Amino acid sequence: MSVDVYKRWAQRYPNMSTAPVPADSCILPEYFALERERIFRRSWLCVGNVCEIPERGDYIVREVAICDANILIIRGNDGVVRGFHNVCSHRGNTLAWDAKGKCRGYLTCNFHSWGYDSAGQLKWIPDEANFFDLDKRQLGLTPVATDVFRGFIFINFAPEQTLTEYLEGVTERMKPEGFDQLRLQRMYRFEERSNWKVSMDAQNEGYHVVSQHRYLMPKLFVTTGEGCFRSAEMTFFGRHSVSGSSISPDYKPFPVEGLMFQIDNGPSRCRLPMQHSFEFHLIFPNFAMLFFRYPTNDFCITHNFWPIAVDRTMWEIRFYAPDPLNAAELLSQDFMQVFNRVVFDEDASAHETVQAGLESRAKKFLLLQDEEIAIRHFHDVLDAEMATHNGR
Amino acid sequence: MAGENSIAKASGALPEPFKDLEPFLHWALPSEPERMAARETSTIEELQVFYDAMLRRMPAIVEYLNRFPLDRMPVEAQRLLNMALALNEVSIAVERYRQPRVINGRERERFFPGR
Ligand code: FES
Ligand SMILES: [Fe+2]
Repeated sequence: MSVDVYKRWAQRYPNMSTAPVPADSCILPEYFALERERIFRRSWLCVGNVCEIPERGDYIVREVAICDANILIIRGNDGVVRGFHNVCSHRGNTLAWDAKGKCRGYLTCNFHSWGYDSAGQLKWIPDEANFFDLDKRQLGLTPVATDVFRGFIFINFAPEQTLTEYLEGVTERMKPEGFDQLRLQRMYRFEERSNWKVSMDAQNEGYHVVSQHRYLMPKLFVTTGEGCFRSAEMTFFGRHSVSGSSISPDYKPFPVEGLMFQIDNGPSRCRLPMQHSFEFHLIFPNFAMLFFRYPTNDFCITHNFWPIAVDRTMWEIRFYAPDPLNAAELLSQDFMQVFNRVVFDEDASAHETVQAGLESRAKKFLLLQDEEIAIRHFHDVLDAEMATHNGR
Repeated sequence: MAGENSIAKASGALPEPFKDLEPFLHWALPSEPERMAARETSTIEELQVFYDAMLRRMPAIVEYLNRFPLDRMPVEAQRLLNMALALNEVSIAVERYRQPRVINGRERERFFPGR
């Protein structure tokens, strides 16, 4: 099946420019420094999922290097998920040292043993009588605005809006169904010599699929008669975007893929609120949620593109699905995890090389075609946010 | 790993109905990075032989493994499961690339830092 349409999204969104996009933002250290202040310190940033801290007292620690922060996300004894700077109130030592753990009673600082409860309250100061004018009640951990959407945990260092306000139409589009079934199954971390936007832009379009992924997913998605990728949906929700794609009705699975479709045939426990067989949701600034329709259980892959320096990024990939109940489910999930890891392996081949190309300054602009409109939307939002917060 | 391999080479390493797959016990690798590395360091001919042998038996393998709870797999069944997982990894090379390594991939071991 083919769809012979051209420049569809430009017609749909006539107010968006079609001009080349300057490449400076990916290579200038000054721009990177401003992104830190104007974007990352004031946006809602996804740092994980509540499935990692299912029980009271469970915590995770996340390094948010772009904000020079080390964040403790902990589920209190009251069940509430809270975020704090992982910094002791006494003299600033790191409180929790493990990436993941459980607070039984108190979290105790290793330096002088100040103790905090699971709600971040300071509860114990050794030799307290030898201090001067201390009020323990005022000396809890420093909170960071934290909220949860569909199980995903977001933090914000200087919130100007609630998470719900920030997400705008995303909250309506992503109905709650299915998300409570997602569990973190696997994670990959890939440190790259590229700007975070170079890495992220590479995921944010389907134009490359028929080229870069020609061996891996031939004829998978709907194309024109000439074999050019055509997405099924482009929608913008404020700062955020979703692109949807349809698997071609003529697609014939490869043997092992077909086998997985057959063996994994139990009753479904997870149906995500999808309108297309594949959806890519970009949550500004650096988070993406990918939804995949799959015979038994839909699954979700997330990307976090964490800036480290103008030319360095920590790319985190997480695979979420219901916990497999039997070998068939495990095998079919593993197939999709392996397959997508190889997709990302191919993707990665154009992150560092594009960065090098842009740093050479041989080219000053990125040229975007109609299927790359979500990249344009992202850069437009970024420019607008950078300008809005100018001088503040 | 060495210990696991030497056990695996003993007879009785796979459940009775799957003895014929024992020549492929070196594919009973317990982790994803190991399976990926084995795929990348094999020849396409080796991958093809393993792929053909496993694919034929997969419906029976899955039926057999489905009898066990995932957290209480007998050790021989777990080896068989690890081989089936290796088929997933190997199938990408055999079916799609026709070569062991990802075409135009990039330093894929970096997906598993610290391992
Ligand atoms: S710095 Fe934590 S107890 Fe002293
Ligand atoms: Fe891709």
